[in-house]
Amino acid sequence: MTVVDVAAVLIILLLAIGWRLSWLATRVDRAHARAERTWAALDAALVRRAQRATELVQTPGVDPASALLVSDAAAAALEPDLDHQQREQAESDLSHVLEVVGPTLTAGADGLVAEQHRATLSRRLHNDAVATARALRRRRVVRTFGLAGHAEEPQPFEMADSRQLLWPRDGT
Amino acid sequence: MPEGRRLRVGLVCPYSFESPGGVQNHVLGLARFLSERGHDPYVLAPGELSETAAGMLDPGRFTTAGAAVPLRYNGSVARVNFGPLSAARVRRWLREHAFDLLHLHEPVTPSISMLALWAADQPVVATFHTATPRSRSMQLAGGVLRAAIEKLDAGIAVSESARLVVIQHLGRDAMVIPNGLRVADFARAAGPRRTRTGRPRLVFLGRTDEPRKGLDVLLAAVPEIRAAVGDVETVVAGQGSRRLPAWCTPLGTVLDHDKAALLRSADVFVAPHRDRESFGIVLLEALASGAPVVASDLPPFVDLLGHGRPGLDPVGDVFRVGDSQALARTVIDVLRHPNPERIGRAQQLARQYDWARVGAAVLSVYRATLAAGPATDARVAQ
Repeated sequence: MTVVDVAAVLIILLLAIGWRLSWLATRVDRAHARAERTWAALDAALVRRAQRATELVQTPGVDPASALLVSDAAAAALEPDLDHQQREQAESDLSHVLEVVGPTLTAGADGLVAEQHRATLSRRLHNDAVATARALRRRRVVRTFGLAGHAEEPQPFEMADSRQLLWPRDGT
Repeated sequence: MPEGRRLRVGLVCPYSFESPGGVQNHVLGLARFLSERGHDPYVLAPGELSETAAGMLDPGRFTTAGAAVPLRYNGSVARVNFGPLSAARVRRWLREHAFDLLHLHEPVTPSISMLALWAADQPVVATFHTATPRSRSMQLAGGVLRAAIEKLDAGIAVSESARLVVIQHLGRDAMVIPNGLRVADFARAAGPRRTRTGRPRLVFLGRTDEPRKGLDVLLAAVPEIRAAVGDVETVVAGQGSRRLPAWCTPLGTVLDHDKAALLRSADVFVAPHRDRESFGIVLLEALASGAPVVASDLPPFVDLLGHGRPGLDPVGDVFRVGDSQALARTVIDVLRHPNPERIGRAQQLARQYDWARVGAAVLSVYRATLAAGPATDARVAQ
């Protein structure tokens, strides 16, 4: 083999590696972008849930004890400066309160259940997106070449939520 | 609850409507549900619309992905397509319709669903129907397939067992939403079931020449059943090249409304499947029509009929997969001890799987997916 041959082989090899790395980087990037979008959607769904719960207990006919329980839990969840773990805790607490108090509310309880389901669904989609991104980040090539760049590692959001999701037997 | 805006949904069915099948029926049923709810579904599938399919789907909403090639996949003969020509058609369909959302069925089959997943730049929901993994072929396909699966925004599995496969083999989560049926089609005119022949009627539905449908298991059990309860009529409805014993009543392919009538006439509906059923819509159809059901103990069947759930009375009987003697014993028992109360509960269960509920669950996944879609879609999705 001449020097030119060797050089040609090397260039082709480098191009192939480069192409593969950029392909992987695209996937990593896409996965992170999706995890961010699903988080934004989950965040919005949780805020809506808390707001809806607050509105609901302000309607006439709701006893003051229920109203206080729900608005207290909702206010805690809507607190602006919670870190990830505190937010998980606050949202779980709200879920528990709604699970107990929700069914006793006569008006608007269906709407609240719908909000709960939307939040649960958004959470499943988010955690699924997070798992995809984290699986990619764990790959050796991705770590060695720093393909995740400065993107922060997405975190799953763990909280108590509707035990039944779309289907009565789902997740049982 | 606000219904939200009208959605343009692209449904991709990997199998041709010219041959009957669970996935095809599901796609047609979903398209009809979405239309009835004021949405805008379009369907891409190989082959042409059959007459039955045209009754459920406006031909203007259908686009063919080209001629289909019969191919063995997952133990069945499926008509699929692939290659650059199909890929080009898929791309053109996506470009021309500008969908809000794509809903692919069986995205990990070598099919237009997979091609659409590759080509898609809009949010993608995918439904996994098949319970049986092909992990070896999945490993061989490698990174390309994994990259495609990463593109999915939301997965739906038709049963808990199908969901486990998605989790274990694809590393993705999926929401469980079962297949739907129009209960009214089956429960209508629920008069007394009396067969013309006066003999108890066993009904089998499915391809006759596919071992996994288990017709053999039933045929081997019939002599024992006859010995115990006298003559029975064995009705076999389904395509297939297999020669049947003279004492069978072969019906060939049955159209939808004939199927409902046939199921209503059954004294026992037998589902002797050996393998690879992910959901078992046919079981639900039988339950909805008030036929007593005897099925093999495949996980989705056991699940559907409510066995192994403490505090839940089963709505049908199961026997060990492939065991003709057990099948015979179970059928004999059902024929000797009719249980109208159980049939009532079975019909009640089937109503839970009506498209009204199943479709609403699918729509909620669409909404959640769009809410997490690219920024422009986030506001309008709610």
